[in-house]
Amino acid sequence: MIKYTQSFLVGLQSNLVYRWNFAVRSVFWFFHLVVVFILWGAVFASNPAVGGFSFRQTLTYFVVIFVLQFFIGAFNEDYQISEDIRNGLINQFLLKPINYFAYRLSVFAAARVVSGAFGILALVIALPFFRGYLELPHDAWRILLAVPAMALTAIIQFSIAYIFGLLAFWFLDIQGFVILSMAVENLLGGQIVPLDLLPHTAFNILRFLPFFYQAYFPASIITGRQGLDFAVQGLAIQAFWAFALVCLAEFVWRRGLRHHTAAGG
Amino acid sequence: MQSISRYFMIWLASARYSLVRATMFRGDLFIWSTVELLWISVNVVVIAVIYSHTRTVAGWSQYEMLLLVGTSMLIQRFLMGFFWSGIFEMGRNVRSGLFDFTLAQPGDPLFMASTRKLELDGLLNSVVAGGLVAYSAWKLGLHPGAGALLLYGCMVACGVVIHYSALVMAMSLAFWITSSQGVEGSYFSLMEFSRLPREAFKGLASTIFVWVLPVVIVSNGPARELLHGFQPSWAAGLSAATAAWFVLAVIVFRRGLRRYTSASS
Repeated sequence: MIKYTQSFLVGLQSNLVYRWNFAVRSVFWFFHLVVVFILWGAVFASNPAVGGFSFRQTLTYFVVIFVLQFFIGAFNEDYQISEDIRNGLINQFLLKPINYFAYRLSVFAAARVVSGAFGILALVIALPFFRGYLELPHDAWRILLAVPAMALTAIIQFSIAYIFGLLAFWFLDIQGFVILSMAVENLLGGQIVPLDLLPHTAFNILRFLPFFYQAYFPASIITGRQGLDFAVQGLAIQAFWAFALVCLAEFVWRRGLRHHTAAGG
Repeated sequence: MQSISRYFMIWLASARYSLVRATMFRGDLFIWSTVELLWISVNVVVIAVIYSHTRTVAGWSQYEMLLLVGTSMLIQRFLMGFFWSGIFEMGRNVRSGLFDFTLAQPGDPLFMASTRKLELDGLLNSVVAGGLVAYSAWKLGLHPGAGALLLYGCMVACGVVIHYSALVMAMSLAFWITSSQGVEGSYFSLMEFSRLPREAFKGLASTIFVWVLPVVIVSNGPARELLHGFQPSWAAGLSAATAAWFVLAVIVFRRGLRRYTSASS
């Protein structure tokens, strides 16, 4: 455990080196929120409610998604892992008593602490503009369930990024796969539109896919878009997907190592 | 004139190289074409979802909005096809020191860096984006003449130059910050505004995103030209913004270049 704590601390330092990248990213994520505000403001200008939710509730949903992404979203972990494999840096982990998944997870956690701080900073700066439009429910159970939901979301997001990164064992360039998955995850994860605005059948199918738990699920608990029963059932499905994806990551790692050739001295 | 023809020959050589490369990595071409197609589909789905809850957004009907989004994508696909790879790699090469190779080439560094690769997938998907525009125009019962189509083409070209300039400025940050990794996302965040109708912008947002940053007029200009015919004020505004942004991008790039110290040495 000590070695992963050290990885976390080193990860914290190396991510602080890239603080300007996070700062720039926060500023432009703020732009994304502005787009959301303008688009949905125009939609709500002619409709008092959309899908049973007010403008304030909808905007709150997107703000929560924004903050969640900074705290638990996988940004470029897939790229870093693929670079480790492509450049042969992975070899050093094969020679040491260290679990690569756990190592990467600790670095991911460190990166999210730094990006989360910038996300909060961006939110604090943006708050004077958005404060009047935010509306959060006050049920205590939402906080109690949101915490494990967020932790599981982080594991799901990281595991998917990890698996895509490991594709570098088979493919020279994985960026195509990464962006392909990003399109799917953004839409089916509810980052572009709240999933409850989709037709009922589509929503019910999505509930059983891992993407649903990448952003929409914790955000829907926090913002009051879903009730207690739904949240409890969802948490069970989410736990299943987190477990399944960690297992899949381990499986892909083992299969990938069979393909790996450690060259050089 | 001789200089222009020399640069054209250089570009032609790069295009030929890119074509040969694309046919060598056919799987890659397929994946990236799918990625681009999927992103276009995501946008179409989002519009469909939004318009399943409302009849208009800022006075724009579903197919008017689709035409606007199609135009925005057409511009973006052209940018992807002609310039993206070169500029994207520039950011990484500045950090690694590989930018030395660009500087050693017999031509303007910005030209050499941004026209090094042609991405066929982007160009192939510009046909899809064009198809989206044509389909929307057909659904709206529009019958533009040759002059209107030519003007639309010119305005789209202006849009490509503005997008190019924004991307060059974003990636030129690599000269100042430790790594430009993730900064390309800032370009996408900014260009999200180009998918929104002009009428949705009010007050400060209108000042910033319509007048200061030309992200709205980039797509609204050509789309309005198809929808409502030639509008001199839009054409003039777009031309002026194109010239100003291109000059600004060149200045930022050259200022950045002065800071480049060749990391590999």
